[in-house]
Formats: sequence, C-alpha cells, structure tokens
Amino acid sequence: MELYLLLGIGILLFCLGVVGFLVRTNAVVLLLSVELMLNAANLVFIVFSRYLHGTDGQIYVFIVMAIAAAEVAVGLAVMISIFRLYGLLDISKIRLLRG
Amino acid sequence: MSPALAYMLPLFPLVGVLLNGSAGVRFNSKTVSLVACAAVGLPLLAALALLVSMAGLPGDERVLTVTLYTWISQAGFTVSFGFLVDTLSMTMILVVLFVGFFIHLYSIGYMEGDPGYRRFFVYLNLFIFFMLLLVMADNLILTFLGWEGVGLCSYLLIGFWFEKKSAADAGRKAFVVNRIGDMGFMLGILMTVLLFQTVNYQELHRALEGSHGMAVTLPAVTALLFFIGAMGKSAQFPLHVWLPDAMEGPTPVSALIHAATMVNAGVYFMCRMFPLLAQAGIALPVIAAVGAFTAIYAALSAVGQTDIKKVLAYSTVSQIGYMFMAVGSGMYMAGMFHLVTHGIFKGLLFLGAGAVIHALRGEQETAAMGGLLKRLSLTSATFLLGLLALAGIFPMSGFFSKEVIIWGGFERYGLFYWFLGFGGAVITALYCGKLFGLAFLGEGTYDGSIHKPGYSMTVPLAVLGFCAATFGVFNLPMLAGKTIFGNFMASTLPPAQTGDPAVSHALETAMLLIVSIVVVVVLLAAMRLYSRRRNYMVQLEENNAGLMNLLFSGFRMDHLHDALLVGPFKRLAAFSSTVLDTIIIDGLVNRAGAAALAAGRLFALLQRGTVTAYALFIAAGIVLFLGITLAVTS
Repeated sequence: MELYLLLGIGILLFCLGVVGFLVRTNAVVLLLSVELMLNAANLVFIVFSRYLHGTDGQIYVFIVMAIAAAEVAVGLAVMISIFRLYGLLDISKIRLLRG
Repeated sequence: MSPALAYMLPLFPLVGVLLNGSAGVRFNSKTVSLVACAAVGLPLLAALALLVSMAGLPGDERVLTVTLYTWISQAGFTVSFGFLVDTLSMTMILVVLFVGFFIHLYSIGYMEGDPGYRRFFVYLNLFIFFMLLLVMADNLILTFLGWEGVGLCSYLLIGFWFEKKSAADAGRKAFVVNRIGDMGFMLGILMTVLLFQTVNYQELHRALEGSHGMAVTLPAVTALLFFIGAMGKSAQFPLHVWLPDAMEGPTPVSALIHAATMVNAGVYFMCRMFPLLAQAGIALPVIAAVGAFTAIYAALSAVGQTDIKKVLAYSTVSQIGYMFMAVGSGMYMAGMFHLVTHGIFKGLLFLGAGAVIHALRGEQETAAMGGLLKRLSLTSATFLLGLLALAGIFPMSGFFSKEVIIWGGFERYGLFYWFLGFGGAVITALYCGKLFGLAFLGEGTYDGSIHKPGYSMTVPLAVLGFCAATFGVFNLPMLAGKTIFGNFMASTLPPAQTGDPAVSHALETAMLLIVSIVVVVVLLAAMRLYSRRRNYMVQLEENNAGLMNLLFSGFRMDHLHDALLVGPFKRLAAFSSTVLDTIIIDGLVNRAGAAALAAGRLFALLQRGTVTAYALFIAAGIVLFLGITLAVTS
C-alpha cells in the first residue's frame, strides 16, 4: 500500500505540473511547473529504487537534477532576455513562431 | 614498300599539331611556320619514296596493308586501325601532301602578322592529319573518323576569323549541311555491316566479287546512302550551299580544303567503293545525273558571281560535278585524274586569287580590279595558266582530264549526256574568260598602292602553275585507252568499258575537236568583251539585272533551303519555346512548386506560436500514441 501511496503522490505532482504548464501564462511559473514534473519523475525513480532494493534509480535522480539545474539556468537566461526585449513575461502575448 | 614509311605519313602532321599546339606558345612565328611546313614536307618526301618503290613493283603487288592495332572487336566483327596504301590512295596522298605543302608555304606569307598565326598552322596540320587518315584508312569506320575530322577542321578554318559574324555563320552552315551527308554515310556503314559483316575495303571487295546471292536493291540503297555522304562533303546539288559561303575563311584554306583536297573526298570515296557501285545498278546513273546537273548549275551560277573567290567556289562545285559524271559513267580513273588536275589548278587559282586579294589589301570584287596583268605579272601569268587548265584548253592538264570525261559519258549514256558535258565546258570557258577579262585585262580601276607578294607566295604559284600546265602528259596517249596514269591505277581501279575502238576513234577525235574549238572561241570572246568593251558588258548585265541576280544567288537555292528547311525548323523551335517549354514544361514545374507552397501554408496553421499550444500538442500526442500502443499490445 505504501508503494501505491507514494506513486499516487508522484502522479499528483506530475499532473499539477502539466496543468500548471498548460494554464498559466507567466514564463517563470512555467519553469516552476517543469520543475514540478521533473521532481515527480524523480520521486517515482526513488520509490521504485527503494521498492526493488537497487541503487540505479537513485543515480538517475542525480543526473536528472543536474540536467534540471542546467535547464533552469538556460531557461532563466532566456526569460531575462525576453523581459529585456518586451518588458513582460506573458507568453500568451509572445508569438514570434506563429506560421 | 616499307610499312615504316606508311606510318610516318600521318605521324608527322600529328606531331606538328602537338608541338605547335603545346610548346608553340613560346615559339616565334618563324619557328611555328617551320614546324608546320616540316610536318607536311617530311611526309611528302616519305610519300615520294613510297611512290618510287611502288612504281618498281609489278602491278598486282602495288598494295601495302599495315595494321596498327585492333580498334573494335565484337563477336566476330572486328575493326582494325590500319592503313591501306594502294595506287588509288597513293595518288590521293600525293595530292594532299603536294598541294598541302605548297599551301603551307604560301600561308607563311599570306597569314603574316595575323594574331591567330599559330592557331592557323595548328588547324592546317590537323587537317592534313585527318585527311591522310581518311585517305589511308583500310576500313569504312576509320575513313569516317577522318571524314568527320576534316569536317571539323573545315568548320574551324571557315570560322577562323570568328569575330566576323558572317564567318562564324558560314562555318556553322558548313557543319550543319555536312551533318545531312554524314547521316547518309553512317547509314551506309550500318547497311554494309548488316549485308557483308565487314567494313574492311579489301574484304568488301572480295565479298562483292562474283555472285553473292543478293538482290540488287540492297547494294543500290547502300551505294546511294554513301553517295548522299559524298554529296555533302563534295558539295553536290542540293547539298552544295555551304561551299560558296565557306569562302569566308582565309584564302589558303579555300585552296587547300575547299578546292584541292577535302571536297574531293567524296569522289575518292566513291572510287574506293567501286565494287559496290558496280553491283548497285541504279546508283551509277543517279550519280552521273547529279554530277551533270551540278556541273551545269554551278557553272551558270559562277557566271553571275562578282566576288573572285565565289567564282572559283562555284567553279569547284561544277568541276566536282564533272568528277561525279566520270564516276557515274564507270570511268573511275578519269574521275581520279580530273581530281588530281583539278586539285592542282584550282589550288593554284585560289592561291592566285589570294595573292590578288593580298596585293589589293582585301579587295575581292572583280569589278574593282582590272589591269592587274601589268602590275602583278607573275601572279597574273600563273592565274592565266590555271584558268586555261580549268577551261580545258589544249595542252593544259584540264584538257586531258575533262575531254576524257565528256567523251566517256557519250559512250555510256549517249548524245544528250555529251551535250551536258559540252555545255558545262562552254559555260566554264565563259566565266573563265569573264574573270580574266574583268580582273586582269583592260584598264586598271584600283588606284591604291599594290602590296607585292613575297617569295613564300610566288614560289608555290610558280610550282603549281608549272604542274597545272604539264600534268596532262600523264594522260598520254589519250585515245589508246592505256594511259600512263591508267596503267599506274590499273591494279586498283577497273578500266572503263569502251565501245568499239575502230568506230569510235574517228568520232572521238571529231567530238574532241568540236569541244576544244568552241571552248577556245568562247574563252577568247569573253576575255575580249569583258576587257575591251567592258562598259558595254556592264550595261548589258544591268539591263538583265533579274537574270544576273538569279545567277548571283545560285538560283536562289539559299532561299529555297530557308523556305523548305530553315523556316519550318525555326517555326518548330518557336513552337517549342512558346508552347512546349513555357506552357507545358514550365507549367508543370510551376504547378509542382505551387502545390508544395499551398501544402506548407496549410500545415503552417498548426504553428500557433504559443508555448501552451505546443505543450498541448505534445501532451495530446503522448496520450494518443500511448493509447495506440496499449490498444495494440493488449
């Protein structure tokens, strides 16, 4: 039962991230939502690693954390650039790639 | 007869081309001309040595075959790269090298100071190389290689001054008209391969001897296809239109290629194929008819020409017509003899015309000359020798060669044919007299200073003039049928079939006298009229301007070609460019592009530009494919 509980928390976190990503328009919040989804995945990794008595999953968590840190660094740099250009961070108003 | 000598003949001109063509950039003009002349002079010596050793052999051993290597070998069908030197090719080799050498010599003076001096000599040597290949080849395909090679050189040399549009056009015209003939030649080769499974001349000769169990139609078709090729190269009606235009080239080129050697290749080739012609039935009368018609037609056109070189060009067409008359009467020896004498005297005439043009600084209109006899005595004297030979005046070489043809035609085809030959000879005398009277006799109309020709130009004139006057002795004794030239050729070419000798000798002599006397009278009259009573003749020509224009334009053959061939072709090209190209091909390409663009626009609608939409698509995609995977696996 403990396993299902923890996996449920992971799914909940992930769905929070997805919904947040789709609903919110502030770019910084979008980054936060991405972090939520990543950490939900991390949680699932750790849960299974404990459940299966292995260490592989925990190693992946560290890799994911490193990548997430790098992604946030790049993402924030992009945010700053966008803010300097447009003076706002509302992504529903920035549609440069529209076909 | 040593094979080494035979190899040497085409080797020297090729070396000359390579040397002048590559290292020649560093040579001065003297070295260039020295190399070029040596490349023709040395093989001339080799050819003379071959001739001497050949003359020492009995008749049936006068043939030398050498094979360099096997060129094509395919399932029992082989083509070798080999040479066949018999008395026929020996004669032609000597004409090519002898006249060719003196024309090279002449070009040193004529082309002096031309910016394309080296290029000119490279082309000339290349021409000699290909001409020797054509003449010496022991099979049809190698002959065809030389045939195309001389065509290429002709094109390059007609358009030598290519910055002049008329010269470039004339070169292109010569090339295109020759393609028509070459198509006939190629089809003839194909027919030969199909019929006889060989292209080697000696094997063909053997295959055609005796009974080969073949209907007469197939050899006749083959022979006529070859004759179409010969008509293109030898400028016979209606494929002659390129030759008058070819006079745009430098005059030594006109002398070498368009009078003495290349244009005679058709006659030579027909003689080479005589076993086929003998079996071909209808072919001989057709050749004779085309030759006779061309002889008269071109002679008439020559009367109307005002440009000294064009007179000679039409005269060449006419004289080659005579050669084909001889071939068509089965008198291959007479045809070859006229080829040799014509090569000499027409080469001489062109060189003389070149000397006149050179002296008058580019003036080519006969009306603007006059009285040149006093101012250019040597040139005029040799020119007169050439004209007398051309008109067939006794005892010049042309007399011996032409009378035999006219007489032989009578023996084979009767009186009407004799009248054609006779008429052609009279018209020839007329334009010869007109040309000499206008340009060399009478009052001088050119007042500029005269540019005297140097030794390199006068020596060839003198040598060729001497030969033009005396070469006829080789056709002695004329009436006996066994002439010196005939005996030499007897190992290669068949004798003409003659009628009853006892009856014909008296008749022959009588007809010969008639032709000779009429020709002399016409020639003298024309000379006198056009020199003493020049104003009267000019007035007469102006009163008949319509007729003279008709003659001048060669009976509007160019118009006819334009209307029948060039015009429809241009319309076809216009149709292709507007309808086929613009509407169909461009249309297809443009439609394809437009379709791709439209598809792009359609899919661009998905590209909303909002991050949320992209994320939604990703999520939807994942759900979709997960669903599919689950549905498939369960």
